[in-house]
Amino acid sequence: MQSYEYYAPRSLPEALEYLAENTGNCRIIAGGTDLIPALRKEDIHPAHLLNILEIVEARGISETGETVRIGAITTFNDLADSELIRKEFPLLAEMALLVGGPQTRNRGTIGGNISSAAPAADGLPVLLSLDAELELSSRRGKRSLPLNEAITKAWTPAWDDDEMITAIKVNKLPPGTRTKFYKLARRKALARSRMTISLILRSGSGGEIEELRFVPGSVMPVPRRMEEVEKLLTGKVPTDELLDRAARAVGEEMVKVTGIRWSTGYKKPVLGNLFRIVLRQLITAG
Amino acid sequence: MKKRGVGYGSMFYGLGYGFSRTDIASATLALNQDGSIIARSGEVEYGQGSDTVFCQIIAEELGVDYIAIKLITADTDVTPDSGPTSASRLTFVGGNAFIKVSRSLKKLLHGVAEEILGENDLVFREGMVFSRSDPEKSISFKKLAGEAYARGVPAVVTEWYNNTTHDVDPETGQGDAYATYCWATQMAEVEVDTETGKVEVLRIVAVTDVGKALNPLNCEAQIEGGVAQGLGYALEEEIKEEGGYVKTETLGEYMIPTSLDVPPIEVHLLEVAEPKGPYGAKGVGEPALIPTPPAVLNAVRDALGLRIHKLPANLENVYQLIHGEEAGN
Repeated sequence: MQSYEYYAPRSLPEALEYLAENTGNCRIIAGGTDLIPALRKEDIHPAHLLNILEIVEARGISETGETVRIGAITTFNDLADSELIRKEFPLLAEMALLVGGPQTRNRGTIGGNISSAAPAADGLPVLLSLDAELELSSRRGKRSLPLNEAITKAWTPAWDDDEMITAIKVNKLPPGTRTKFYKLARRKALARSRMTISLILRSGSGGEIEELRFVPGSVMPVPRRMEEVEKLLTGKVPTDELLDRAARAVGEEMVKVTGIRWSTGYKKPVLGNLFRIVLRQLITAG
Repeated sequence: MKKRGVGYGSMFYGLGYGFSRTDIASATLALNQDGSIIARSGEVEYGQGSDTVFCQIIAEELGVDYIAIKLITADTDVTPDSGPTSASRLTFVGGNAFIKVSRSLKKLLHGVAEEILGENDLVFREGMVFSRSDPEKSISFKKLAGEAYARGVPAVVTEWYNNTTHDVDPETGQGDAYATYCWATQMAEVEVDTETGKVEVLRIVAVTDVGKALNPLNCEAQIEGGVAQGLGYALEEEIKEEGGYVKTETLGEYMIPTSLDVPPIEVHLLEVAEPKGPYGAKGVGEPALIPTPPAVLNAVRDALGLRIHKLPANLENVYQLIHGEEAGN
């Protein structure tokens, strides 16, 4: 058993004050689906636990013009149930419904998922493909940070210790954009992702790919857009030969980052296969 | 590409311990003044439904309401040893012990009822004891229990059922090693994704010779549970070990199927009565599970034309089967 001080304020200023006072020695409960097991296993030994689940400013999904603001403590089930999310970012809702089981989805939050920065976090690749930005709050004020700059190392957020995510901001996609999240796992629920594919596609009138954003999940320490693969396909009509070439490039890009590991023999070809399968589905869906 | 295949798995299985190994079960009944019964046995219920079946048997034999029976099992303070829950033996061995002990108690009560009713051919049914030839002559079971107590009849009975069989001939290995045998066949239909190695089981049909289904719903449920376990064995379950340390430490890593992973299971109960079984019943436990992995793996063989020798048939192992050891390197 560990002992720690527990604090569950109702206002953001109180939370930020507490965080600033206990910098470096405080962990945030944003659902607890990662944190509580880690405490139980004594992987972490914080002196302070800050529960932010009562904080109104970190709650809710809203839109302002072309931007959607998702409160950090929005649960996966809230995401999946949101009309706005299903309409604007269907892949985010698809991802949310595939996380854990119903209990995990009721507790786990998108802000918590990002903060844990796990290589297998399903929220990260989706939000990276959406070019999301984080709204970070601290006693010093608020700032925005692009998600791809916020997580550059596994398990380690790049923001300051006195900061916390209060929201995620995502710009709406241009009309005609299609999206897809695909999860390959060892079973259909309560399973960590073996590999995921987050794809955003807009095709031109001639069938050529106008815009493609692709982020694989669970294959690299930190997920990121595979811009080399996106470039390979952008502006071109996706023939079978081109898709095969792109699929091979996906595997090669992965190995450039990860090197050869026990799982490479499987992941390298299959990640490419999945990319091709999901992209083809998106193309024909249009 | 997704390829489909169909496979079958069949088994027969010796019930109980066999080969002259001790295979006994105990059962005790104590009758209370109000007609309720306290039953005890060392047999262990762990979800398969044996407690339900034992209470059914007592109720059937004594013609009393199922809820009048309080059953205490596997409490070593008060229950006599009945051997482990294994070898698909509980309904068969324990069930026979409960039939035996119920009949012994019935015999005692029969004597009391004969004195009261002046009749010697009596029927115990639906909480009543009455004359077969003149059903008007009757007494409620509850009242009879009170009378038995008042007369000082020692209405506590213990019986043993001994299922120990003969050994086989040590020279030839021939002989009748088990009391009886269980039979089952299952069919699996699968779809294998050759690009990911994912095996999806679409359907299982399970046919099991249960001898006699003492509780058909329970039998079906037990077979469905066995199939789910067999699917885990074939496709998911794996203990990883590194330098003498088990790396698969939690059920988050040790995969077994969730309810979403279990396909539709079509259960058919065959009832070929076994003369030695309680009302003809045989065991269901292991026969529910044993045919599933071979049926699934044969279906994979049918889909791919390749036989997998490395279990579980998970993503990596199936992909490697299709594309070779060096796949992707």
